[in-house]
Amino acid sequence: MIPPTGPVHRPTGPPAGPDANSPRRSVILDVVLDLVFRTAVLFGLFLLFAGHNAPGGGFVSGLVIGTALVLRYVAGGAAEVDRVLPLEEHVLLGAGLLLAFASGAAGWIFGGAFLYGAKATLEIPVLGTVNATSALVFDVGVDLVVIGLVLGLLRSLGAAADRDADDVDTRRGVAS
Amino acid sequence: MSPDVALPLLVGLPLGAAAVSLLLLGRPLVLQRTVSLVVLATMQVLSIVVVASVWDGSVVSVRVGAVDPAVGIVLAADPLGAIMLVVSSLMLWTVMVYAIGSQRTKEQAPAFHPLYLVLAAGVAASFLTADLFNLFVAFEVMLVASYVLITLGGSRDQVRHGMTYVVIGLLASTLFITAIGLVYAATGEVNLAALAVAMDQVPTGIRTALGLLLLVVFGVKAAIFPLFQWLPDSYPTAPSPVTALFAGLLTKVGVYAIIRTQTLLFPTGGEVSIALLVLAALTMTVGVVGAIAQNDIKRILSFHIVSQIGYMIFGLGLFTLAGIAGAVLYVVHHIVVKTTLFLVGGIVEERAGTGALDRLGGAMHTAPVLAVLFLLPALSLAGIPPFSGFVAKLSLAQSGFAAEQWVVTGVSLAVGLLTLFSMTKIWNGVFWGDPARAAVSLDREHVVAAPMTVATAILVTVSLAFVVAAGPLYDFSERAASVLLERGAYVQAVLR
Amino acid sequence: MAVVAVLVLHGLLALAAGLSGRRLGRRVLLLVACGPLAAVVLLVAHALGLLGSGALATSVSWVPSIGLQFDLVLDGFGILFWWLIAGIGLLVMVYATRYFAPRDDLGLFASMLVLFAGAMLLLTSTDNVLVLFVAWELTSITSYLLIGFDDHRAEARASALQALLVTGAGGLALLGGLLLVAGSAGTTSLTGILVVAPTDPAAQAGFALVVLGAATKSAQVPVHFWLPGAMSAPTPVSAYLHSATMVKAGIYVLARFAPAIGPVVGWWAPVVVGLGGVTMLLGGWRALRATDLKELLAYGTVSQLGFIVLLVGHGDPELVHAGATLLLAHALFKATLFLAVGVIDHQAGTRDLRRLTGIARRMPTTALALLVAAASMAGVIPLFGFIAKEAALESTLHVGFGGPAMTAVVVVGSVLTAAYALRLVWGSLATKGPDEVDDDVVEPREVARPAPGFEGPAVVLTILTVAFGVWVAPADALVVGATTALVGPEAADIHLRLWHGFGLPLLLSSVALVGGWVVWRWPGSVRRVAVVTARVPDMEDVYRGSLRGLLAWADRITAVVQPGSLPLYGAVVLSTVLLLPGVAVLRNLALPEGLVVAESGLQVAITAIVVGAAIGAARVRRRLSAVLLLGAVGYGMAVLFVVQGAPDLALTQLLVETLSLAMFVLVLRRLPERFESTPWRFGRPLRVVVSLGTGIFVAVFTLVAAAANRQGTAAADFLERSLPEGGGRNVVNVILTDFRALDTLGEITVLVVAAIGIALMVRTPVEPDERGEVGP
Repeated sequence: MIPPTGPVHRPTGPPAGPDANSPRRSVILDVVLDLVFRTAVLFGLFLLFAGHNAPGGGFVSGLVIGTALVLRYVAGGAAEVDRVLPLEEHVLLGAGLLLAFASGAAGWIFGGAFLYGAKATLEIPVLGTVNATSALVFDVGVDLVVIGLVLGLLRSLGAAADRDADDVDTRRGVAS
Repeated sequence: MSPDVALPLLVGLPLGAAAVSLLLLGRPLVLQRTVSLVVLATMQVLSIVVVASVWDGSVVSVRVGAVDPAVGIVLAADPLGAIMLVVSSLMLWTVMVYAIGSQRTKEQAPAFHPLYLVLAAGVAASFLTADLFNLFVAFEVMLVASYVLITLGGSRDQVRHGMTYVVIGLLASTLFITAIGLVYAATGEVNLAALAVAMDQVPTGIRTALGLLLLVVFGVKAAIFPLFQWLPDSYPTAPSPVTALFAGLLTKVGVYAIIRTQTLLFPTGGEVSIALLVLAALTMTVGVVGAIAQNDIKRILSFHIVSQIGYMIFGLGLFTLAGIAGAVLYVVHHIVVKTTLFLVGGIVEERAGTGALDRLGGAMHTAPVLAVLFLLPALSLAGIPPFSGFVAKLSLAQSGFAAEQWVVTGVSLAVGLLTLFSMTKIWNGVFWGDPARAAVSLDREHVVAAPMTVATAILVTVSLAFVVAAGPLYDFSERAASVLLERGAYVQAVLR
Repeated sequence: MAVVAVLVLHGLLALAAGLSGRRLGRRVLLLVACGPLAAVVLLVAHALGLLGSGALATSVSWVPSIGLQFDLVLDGFGILFWWLIAGIGLLVMVYATRYFAPRDDLGLFASMLVLFAGAMLLLTSTDNVLVLFVAWELTSITSYLLIGFDDHRAEARASALQALLVTGAGGLALLGGLLLVAGSAGTTSLTGILVVAPTDPAAQAGFALVVLGAATKSAQVPVHFWLPGAMSAPTPVSAYLHSATMVKAGIYVLARFAPAIGPVVGWWAPVVVGLGGVTMLLGGWRALRATDLKELLAYGTVSQLGFIVLLVGHGDPELVHAGATLLLAHALFKATLFLAVGVIDHQAGTRDLRRLTGIARRMPTTALALLVAAASMAGVIPLFGFIAKEAALESTLHVGFGGPAMTAVVVVGSVLTAAYALRLVWGSLATKGPDEVDDDVVEPREVARPAPGFEGPAVVLTILTVAFGVWVAPADALVVGATTALVGPEAADIHLRLWHGFGLPLLLSSVALVGGWVVWRWPGSVRRVAVVTARVPDMEDVYRGSLRGLLAWADRITAVVQPGSLPLYGAVVLSTVLLLPGVAVLRNLALPEGLVVAESGLQVAITAIVVGAAIGAARVRRRLSAVLLLGAVGYGMAVLFVVQGAPDLALTQLLVETLSLAMFVLVLRRLPERFESTPWRFGRPLRVVVSLGTGIFVAVFTLVAAAANRQGTAAADFLERSLPEGGGRNVVNVILTDFRALDTLGEITVLVVAAIGIALMVRTPVEPDERGEVGP
């Protein structure tokens, strides 16, 4: 497995942002942040489902949710990201890829060609008539991969930050 | 099983398996190994099915995504693509076996297996896609996996040299996507078969320019002169199985793309043909001269990749049936033999801890089996009869003379001697001599695990089988060349 | 089929010997001797008329499409060669069981030896010139491995390489030549080529290359030097490969071509005969100066090979006949000499004639064999060598143009031959005075008597040398068979005789013997001439010099093309773009008619911002500024997408830009504030020129390409089909998830791998550099 990864306990906070438990953090900021984050995630999900007929889609959705995660990272470092999304990124990446592949296989079985967009019309409350297609499943896969990518990047940044903290003195020496 | 099933599976299966393998991260390694071996073995079977279905020189195709080729993507296998597939699958599973047996070469590193499977998918897609943009995607899939594999385990030196590979690779990809944009601007198509038709409407000058641009793009991947410089710098430092696989496969995917695009889209040859022949002569020469100057097994072998690419381009540049048939045969031979030699180099490094010629010696006495496993493919590489390299070089030289290309044909013969010279350099440095007097010898305490030797031996056996089956193999190469030159069967199968 | 069976047997024995070498010990040599034995059985059966007419001819197909097939035809000339290869091979293999002390790698030795024998048999029995080349190269490779058999000696390794490179170069010349000739004749069949006898320029060049290739293999001047070097090989190898058989492969080829090509290609006979003549004289001369017995024999072989080339190269039936006779005679006496010298070397521990004395008394059998063989070589009646020399002189005297010159060369060459034969006999056998030997002389009593059987093979050959002299019929049958195979039935009337009567040939033979004795007896003149000839550059030095030069040159070239600078590599790639497609675009510059520069002021403004930001990003020295400017380029593009009516693209571009900007900024915190400056002075101008050039090229090419488009694009298709076939109104999304979902599947795989790669790079601790000595 990919070394130091996932929601593990980190002894040192990243210099990228104040520690989640630091007294310097204001409650108002926390609340606003939470609000923005939740809105962004919801918006992302909306884009995912609306994507087939209006601007949006899995990729864009993933980017929106990813950007929301970056916001979390800036506010509370890798630890905060771990708290919001306690999943190893390779699970997201693997699951996303597998889902996309599986939708392709489904299209093959039901539609006659690998990755063929099989369709069904469904009535869903709130959203109304939805053309449910295997393409949507595919898009979910794409979404997961993009989120996994951003998550992985943020964790890597966090790991690098940890290492920097370890040998911060030597680095300072180089810089000056 | 029909090719309708085999073609999408060849691309899809390794991708799906990569996802599964990724989900198995952190679980016992044996699970990932099982997935990899099963999938790679399946690919071998599927590719044989594909070869069987195009054996008579036909082309099979299947649609992926949209049912209409005008908007969807078509996968197609002609004899060239099929034989590339079958040989590549062979490399993929044998090298995987080798990697599993290897202690030093990072197969145990996290994500080796998913990356390897992604690479396999990219290679398969490259040989099967009948769509220029999808070819770009296949290249990216293959390359991005290779970027990670080449730096796997990361000593500083390796990362530094890997950077050369990555940056030049990205530069070539940028040029590729630019080229696709330009091709689309000129024709409004990306489907290769549709392009073959549409390209005829494009004025000759522009067509030549597009042909040359694509040649440069794939030339970087194939490492032809003067675009090869990244290769000898980056290959030798990577883990041995990775280098072996890259040496055998990746540059050849570039060569495949050159052959495919030049014959399908720019069939008249013309100025591109002259450029190809000049570049071929320079590639052969510069590569072998570089090899002579080296004193390390993997570095010598790396330069040889470049030199050998020249032969393939030479055959293509002739734009004759015999020339292209020779090139196809050469590619097939080269993939097997080159991979084998790198595997042997890897075993030497694993046993002795170095590949430096001046430090090794006497391995023939302490490792006679390894000596034979080196000698046979080395002679084949140098074009010594009766090995497959000889048949390939002979057919190229024959067609070169027949096309009255005296100079480049003469160069191709002379380069053979220099190739032999550099192979004797390895033989002399590593295998001959007194083991007691060498700085490091391959003593009997440091033997490698059986899978490494077995995988190497399998490939040597295959290259010997090529000698016996050279007749049918050449005839199949000729059918492949005929399909490439006539274009009609491919275009019809794709646009059907 | 019998021929095929024998050849296959050799291959199988090679395999068996390689696998069982360790277990069988020295007996492995007897195992492989079964190969030549089978060939001898075949030859005897044929001689006795026990085989059907089809037994010696068969065809096995290999790669028929390129003319590669084993057309095996064993004719009279082939039979002569087969006798030499199989007969001497058998004796040498038996001899080797006594020659070698038990050692681990005899299996490899035996394997190579029998493989060589098989290759030679194939070479002399195939009618296909390409298969002939296959066998030719196999002999070179096995010779390489056999010369270097004592691989702990650097000298053996160097000699092996030298032999391989010289004969390998010759092999390539031969291949090129054969391909050209076969191309002109339209067939790869040897007899077919000879029937057509093409004379167009390509074929003539081909013949020249064939002569070159044959000359290297048969050690003709000036590429003779590898043969003395090859004496590093164990003596059985020298006896077999480097005197009796392999070196005659070149002669085989010349003899095949000469009768058909000599008459139609004007330069052939003078060149080939001249080559042989010069070689005969130079080889004989050098043999006079040698002190190492094997070196003496090697130069003697060079001389004799020249002699044979002189005879067979002309193509005249009588000369060819004499050549075939000498071929047989030489194989008999020279193999004997090598085997005998091998025994002496083995027992005395040296083959330096300055350290040997009194050998004749210690091993009389070997001494007798050596004496008889040397006498045959010098042309003493009634030995077979005499018959051969008589035949040669008789035939050269009959040649019209150039005949006297050839005769003169043969006589002078024979004088030298007689002289070095005397030197050999005296040097190896005589009991010498104290002033004739070095201080570290090997005392006769220190020399052990040879083991039983060790001397046997030499004795067998000696008996043949004598027997063929006295009873000439069997040899005559062989030689006549060979000659008719080469030049046709008109040669059937030329026969060998021991006694030609008192004539000019006999006189010249006697002159040669007496002259040889004079030259050997008064060596002062030899020494005086040697002072002069020493000034001529030695070809071996030339070889060494060129090898060193090649290596140095390779180093220099590689340093230039492979400087290890990444920016430079990038520049080379882009420069190639400018040079190849760039020039092609320039030559076909046609901009679209009615070119619209911009549709709105907004476009112009945004473009200006994008371009300005891009230039700025390249110029600024602070990393953060560069990132921000790059962001501006990206956002500018997004706005352009909006203006062009592509909200989906714009949205994606916007988000990607935002995300990457954020990542950049987070990463930048860990990097120095400014870029480091380029170390190379020309780096910056070079980058500016190359990147500006590339930018302009892409822009111009886009316009030109679009102008060339006469058929519209596939876009309309996509718009039309999005809803009915893809089930969605957002055409971009339908393309991504349905129509071209394979692209997307690939691209998300790229993302997955990128994520893994970054994680591995950043989170794996960097290992110490374990292979620092490998990288540059």
